Amino acid sequence: MDNQALSALREVFGERLDTSREQCICYSYDATGKMFLPDAVAFPTSADEVRRTILLANERLFPVIPRGAGSGFSGGSVPVQGGLVLSMERMDRILSIDEENLVAVVEPGVVTETLKEEARKRGLFYPPDPASLKFCTIGGNIAECSGGMCAVKYGVTRDYVLGLEAVLGTGELVRTGVVTVKGVVGYDLTRMLVGSEGTLGIVTKAVLKLIPYPETIATILAFFRSNHDGSKAVVGIIGERITPCALELMDRTAIDCVRENAGLPVPAEAGCALLIEVDGPKESVSAEAERVEQACRRYGAIEVGRAADAEGRERLWTLRRSISPALRQVNPVKINEDIVVPRSRLPEMLAFLADLASRQNLRIVNFGHAGDGNVHVNVMISGTDEDERRRADEAVAEVFRKTVALGGTISGEHGIGISKAPFLEMEVGPLGVSVMKRLKTCFDPNGILNPGKIFVEEGMARR
Amino acid sequence: MRREDLAALTAACAKCGTCRTVCTLYPERKAEIAVARGKVVLVEAAASGLDGDAEALQEALSDCLLCGRCERACPNQVAVEEIVMKGRGDLAEELGIPAWKQVVFGKVMPSAGGKEAARAAAAASQKLFLRKVPTESGLHYRFPSAFGQSGRTVPALSGESFLGSLPRGEAVRGEVLLFVGCVFDHVFPQVGRAAYETLRLSGKGIAVLRDAPCCGLPALVSGDRPSALRCVEENVRRLSEASPERIVFPCGSCLVMFRRNMLSLLPKEHPLYGDAVRVADRCEDYASFLLETGVLSRLPAPREGERPGRIGYHDPCHLSGTLGRGGEGREVLRRAVGDSFGEMKGADLCCGYGGTFNIRDYPTSAKIGQNKVSVAAEGGTAVIATACSGCILQMRDMAARTDPSLRVVHIAELVFQAFSSR
Repeated sequence: MDNQALSALREVFGERLDTSREQCICYSYDATGKMFLPDAVAFPTSADEVRRTILLANERLFPVIPRGAGSGFSGGSVPVQGGLVLSMERMDRILSIDEENLVAVVEPGVVTETLKEEARKRGLFYPPDPASLKFCTIGGNIAECSGGMCAVKYGVTRDYVLGLEAVLGTGELVRTGVVTVKGVVGYDLTRMLVGSEGTLGIVTKAVLKLIPYPETIATILAFFRSNHDGSKAVVGIIGERITPCALELMDRTAIDCVRENAGLPVPAEAGCALLIEVDGPKESVSAEAERVEQACRRYGAIEVGRAADAEGRERLWTLRRSISPALRQVNPVKINEDIVVPRSRLPEMLAFLADLASRQNLRIVNFGHAGDGNVHVNVMISGTDEDERRRADEAVAEVFRKTVALGGTISGEHGIGISKAPFLEMEVGPLGVSVMKRLKTCFDPNGILNPGKIFVEEGMARR
Repeated sequence: MRREDLAALTAACAKCGTCRTVCTLYPERKAEIAVARGKVVLVEAAASGLDGDAEALQEALSDCLLCGRCERACPNQVAVEEIVMKGRGDLAEELGIPAWKQVVFGKVMPSAGGKEAARAAAAASQKLFLRKVPTESGLHYRFPSAFGQSGRTVPALSGESFLGSLPRGEAVRGEVLLFVGCVFDHVFPQVGRAAYETLRLSGKGIAVLRDAPCCGLPALVSGDRPSALRCVEENVRRLSEASPERIVFPCGSCLVMFRRNMLSLLPKEHPLYGDAVRVADRCEDYASFLLETGVLSRLPAPREGERPGRIGYHDPCHLSGTLGRGGEGREVLRRAVGDSFGEMKGADLCCGYGGTFNIRDYPTSAKIGQNKVSVAAEGGTAVIATACSGCILQMRDMAARTDPSLRVVHIAELVFQAFSSR
């Protein structure tokens, strides 16, 4: 960025523009741990400041990278080509929660949990629940179309975005979508922006759908001997015409990480665990929980437990929640993928992953939102062994090929960013990539917004 | 910066961002540089030669309350406090320590005579320069705005320190040693007195060190390792000589210095390291000692009549958080004041003092502190009891500024009162 650009930005932001090395370092990374220094960081507090920034960027041609909390897993907010990071964390107001129309209007920097809590106080529910919900932001969730545990029943971020206010790559402030439940007027620009990873526009306001908070919830933990039994049970439960609001699977490698400190006894022969939740009116929940337990036993569960109260629920969840932090004990560096396969293909996918781990001599820990076919494949490596790194990269490519072959998708909720850019074409094909690139040109003709993401750029590192 | 030490500590950070949820400072700064992840990456960058200006880095590392909430929330248990303190220490060696801190830490704190002289001078100047403010917790003085400390109040220093008031020949020997701490000796001598009198009820011999140096924590958190080390060496020597069975601390911050920080400050090959480990093992908090020795079982049942729940307990970050001693203080209160004790709203919110942070950025420290006491008062608390000198200093100032009817006391004062009145 040149001095003219910086002094023009200074007029927009004053003290809220920072070019110090220290501030730039603090906005150079996300949860992937990859680091690229920006030239400057700015903290907008209004849509107009964002708009003026993009206009300037088009004039002076510098990259602008929107950033929420930097908790992403695909490098979406990392400034790979330098430029200006727009940290949206200070636009963090909940503007309204309309209890008659069940709609919330929020700024992008609102932390997801804050919105969930405010909704809950009013008996309302904003379902999307990415694992980082305590710190990630609505803007980031919209950019990546975040999912979470309850996606199996309630869907993902896109299912709750009714309308947006956003600054496009041209610097135009656009309002998309509706504030009503329905709306089919013209192309669905809202959905176009959701999941676009900050490459088409920067969200400055979001209109979100809320639903009534479920009356009650039941939690069931079932242990199985093998991934095979466990994943068959997943298919079985869905086959029962039950839609759990969480259906989490932990494979043997995941259970082994936490066997000692799970906070509850884990049967010695357990090689797979399912954590299942059903919610809704009291009567139907207890009947459904009963049927879930029966289904688990039918598929060979060796132990099934149900929590009756919040405390018991918390205890069962401890097993699932302890896994991520415990992964470090396996190996310090985590390559975290989030593939999805049709649920019926889960048994095949898990068998493939077990075989892959032994073939490539790697530690691969699998767990995730099995109810929607989403598996978090965590290849755990030392980070110091070059050959291991190469085998891990190969393994990840194999996982993606298998996923696509099974009719699945290579990213359920993390997005493409830089981590998966080399594999985009594998799933969507050359025509798919070409259509996407043409759309990108409409929204951002000068390639100002978040360059180097989603599409492979010349000379960019593969991982 | 010293690469090897720090690299091992920072490598554990997975950059997940969990620390953003609990950071006391983040809501005030709204910038990544305030939170642990930002600071860890800055230290990592500096260790690999990527950093810019050392002074800017020092500034970034100073902007932290060391409340430790990030460390406890961290899924990978990154040792944030140690990283920040080590970073400050390394930078202080590189850049030097601000002059005012040098005088205080280097000359006043390590020696008892220095502290006595400083207190006398301060007490005299208070009378000359500052305006009196009456509060429930005792007289305070308010700084005139010209001092750049707009609205700050400080407790009126009494004529005599607690240890100065002890008759010669008293509390010289005993199997239990009371480590009073600077603030409870000089600024709030009534706390030193209450702790001393109630410890004596255990039937054990209670001794004090009349000329103990400061615990060293203020110097350590400011990056002044040499001064902190001098305090530690002197204390370890003196305490090893006295060789008590137990060393009891009314102040959670002094205790964390002795139980934890002292051992990471002293190199393992230091001749006093073995002694320090033995001393650390014998250190415990005031409340735990009372519960352990059963002093409170001799207390008659508390009288009814006061509004239930009017007395709350504030969790000092060092005591309840770092050392995991949050339940003991509450139990002591329950026994001492009965139903008058009730869980306080926002009990575990940091008071915002942060040692020298309070001096470095008083407006922010005060904002955090005022929020703390307002949340407590809104929840119906009329008396905040706690067990750390920094928290008491801060919350009394905050009460004086916002709600002078709010009392802030040490739990020992309430225990002493319970014994005296029944």
